[in-house]
Amino acid sequence: MSEIKKSGSADVTPILEIRGLQKSFGELSVLKDISLSVDPGNVLSIIGPSGSGKSTLLRCASFLETANGGDILYDGKYAFKDGEYAGKAELNQFRTLFGMVFQNFNLFPHYSVMKNICEPPVLRGQDKEKVRARAEELLKKMGLEGKEDAYPYQLSGGQQQRVAIARALALEPEILYFDEPTSALDPELTGEVLKVIRQLADDHMTMVVVTHEMAFARAVSNRVIFMDGGFIIEEGHPEEVFGNPQQERTRRFLSNYTQ
Amino acid sequence: MSLTTMILKMSEGLGKTCAIFFLTLLFSLPLGMIVALLRMSRNKIISSVTRFFINILRGTPLMLQLLAVTYGPYYLFGISVSRNKLIPVVIAFAINYAAYFAEIYRGGIESIPAGQYEAAEVLGYSKTQTFLRIILPQVVKRIMPSVTNEVVTLVKDTSLAFTVSYQEMFTIGKQIANSQTSFVPFVVAGVFYYLFNLIVDRVMGLIEKRLNYYK
Amino acid sequence: MKKIFALIMALVMLTVLVSCSGAKDSGSGSAEKKTFIMGIDPEYPPFSFLGEDGNYTGFDVEICQAACDYLGWEMKIFGVNWDEKLIQLDSNECDCIWSGMTILDSMKEAGYVISKPYYDNTQVIVVKADSGYNSSADLAGKLVAVQLGTSGEALLNGDLADLAATFGDVITADSFLKCFTELAGNAVDAVFVDMPVAASYAAEHEGYKIIDEQLGAEQYGIAFRSGDEALCDEIEKAVAALVENGTYAKIAEKYPDIVNNLLFLND
Repeated sequence: MSEIKKSGSADVTPILEIRGLQKSFGELSVLKDISLSVDPGNVLSIIGPSGSGKSTLLRCASFLETANGGDILYDGKYAFKDGEYAGKAELNQFRTLFGMVFQNFNLFPHYSVMKNICEPPVLRGQDKEKVRARAEELLKKMGLEGKEDAYPYQLSGGQQQRVAIARALALEPEILYFDEPTSALDPELTGEVLKVIRQLADDHMTMVVVTHEMAFARAVSNRVIFMDGGFIIEEGHPEEVFGNPQQERTRRFLSNYTQ
Repeated sequence: MSLTTMILKMSEGLGKTCAIFFLTLLFSLPLGMIVALLRMSRNKIISSVTRFFINILRGTPLMLQLLAVTYGPYYLFGISVSRNKLIPVVIAFAINYAAYFAEIYRGGIESIPAGQYEAAEVLGYSKTQTFLRIILPQVVKRIMPSVTNEVVTLVKDTSLAFTVSYQEMFTIGKQIANSQTSFVPFVVAGVFYYLFNLIVDRVMGLIEKRLNYYK
Repeated sequence: MKKIFALIMALVMLTVLVSCSGAKDSGSGSAEKKTFIMGIDPEYPPFSFLGEDGNYTGFDVEICQAACDYLGWEMKIFGVNWDEKLIQLDSNECDCIWSGMTILDSMKEAGYVISKPYYDNTQVIVVKADSGYNSSADLAGKLVAVQLGTSGEALLNGDLADLAATFGDVITADSFLKCFTELAGNAVDAVFVDMPVAASYAAEHEGYKIIDEQLGAEQYGIAFRSGDEALCDEIEKAVAALVENGTYAKIAEKYPDIVNNLLFLND
């Protein structure tokens, strides 16, 4: 993996920057002081045990959860500052910057593949014909040619997740979030989805991937974060984190995955 | 009285039965949606007041509600009883059925996974777009069987209009039964209701089939 | 619906049992008393109605009670749905229909056993006192209410069909009280009803008048199931005995609106 731009270098504005993010559900504190940044073209993988706050972090970054404290910046602009969100219109503007791929795909079951992909950009006022052409291109890239008129229930889990990725990409986001994209899939179907994500990495798509696929994270990411108990325990280049983990907790976690 | 005359006379009332049926659906289906949304309101006062009314409407006999709507305004405020009984009948039916539909809608809406809302939000759908384009079509499909049940019940419930002296088919049937000392009009009424519901069943079946393009 | 009906029935039976318990001893005292179920329209004063004390009463109810006491029978009351009374009689829910019931030819044709008539009834029209209607002719084009299943309704469909045709419409309500509610609430212009009912209603409520026109003479009797000639006979004999010993007249005194039309007292 080539390292495009070193994270935190002075001449680049990170697409996503999070500072001291806090989130609690009632008494339960799930995120405690999380800070990270993602530069254009980089792939950040977030690993860690269940309940460590990985998904909550992504959901806060995509405004699906309301954070309690800290800052969230997109392209250097505050979407969330000191526990206060920007205005509704501004947040909608920020929403155009990221896309999200869910664990359970969350395709719209009553829409065909084509409509799933095309309706969001069309509703945002984009030209129908152009959107359709882009969608066809994306489906081709996802290996889903000929599935335009299929309905989600007619597709395998792996195919559905690839449609979901195409749907997110059709909006041409600057950054794409993956929330355990292969966890709901049968083992033999994870490969086709991971292949597509790897392809996107090769095209320098900026991505944050929450995953349990360690080999994949190691091969695709520019940076890896290991989270546990709402904290970032370790962060670094995948070879460092996987090859020579500095923290005892990281080692213990990774030993469950590597023989 | 010949059977033909009997059927002809009762068919005259069938028009009024149909009027109750269609007007009730016309008003109660949308009204039910409004009630369902009020019921699900985050405002505790609105939702509990709505719930209270739904419980009253579902917890008391429709016949009683018919009497209340028809004669209540006269007894309480001295307002004249309507000469066109279709008006109070449809009001009572529409309100009563809206309460039932509201609970069906609510069940349907709450059965849609949260992921659908989340996906729509991230994809930039507004709240209204999410409801109308993503949630509602799925709700409609899910609630069709329950709605069909209610519609079938409505066909039979139209006969309750006799309690407020609305001359629909069943009332006319009773009149003939009395004057002829005959049970036949009730059989005719039964056949009418059965055929009516046969049509309802077919139509609802067609709609369900059309919604079956996805699972 | 069924549950509510069953509940009402249970309450009715309870009140009847309670109200009967006082009079029970007049019978022979044998362990097995014959039970006679009287079918009434519970909303048909002064013949049968729910009294102030919550028990059914009325002229017919009191006579039947007296007849049963005389025969040593236990009496129960069953409130029928007036427009389905004969079906309810056929299904053994009660043993007779005795409630200001007009004798119709169609009943005899259908095989029901009908007692000797005991009351001469006429139909009248009730209107609001300030309405300005003074004859049935004034009601041309107006709405007239009649109780479903009553002789009034039968008349408007039969002998008085010509008169009915001049009305704007005939509205059938399922109780005579609803007829009067419709009139009170201006939903109809007149009520076509039995004379005694009209008289007692107009006496108790202000603002109504009876148009001075007697329409369609008819008579009241008691209906029994086909084949129950013996039962009819026993009841008729008991009533004859009550007439004989003066009980009948004593009860009739309490109902001044109808006393003049009672056939057994005015022979």
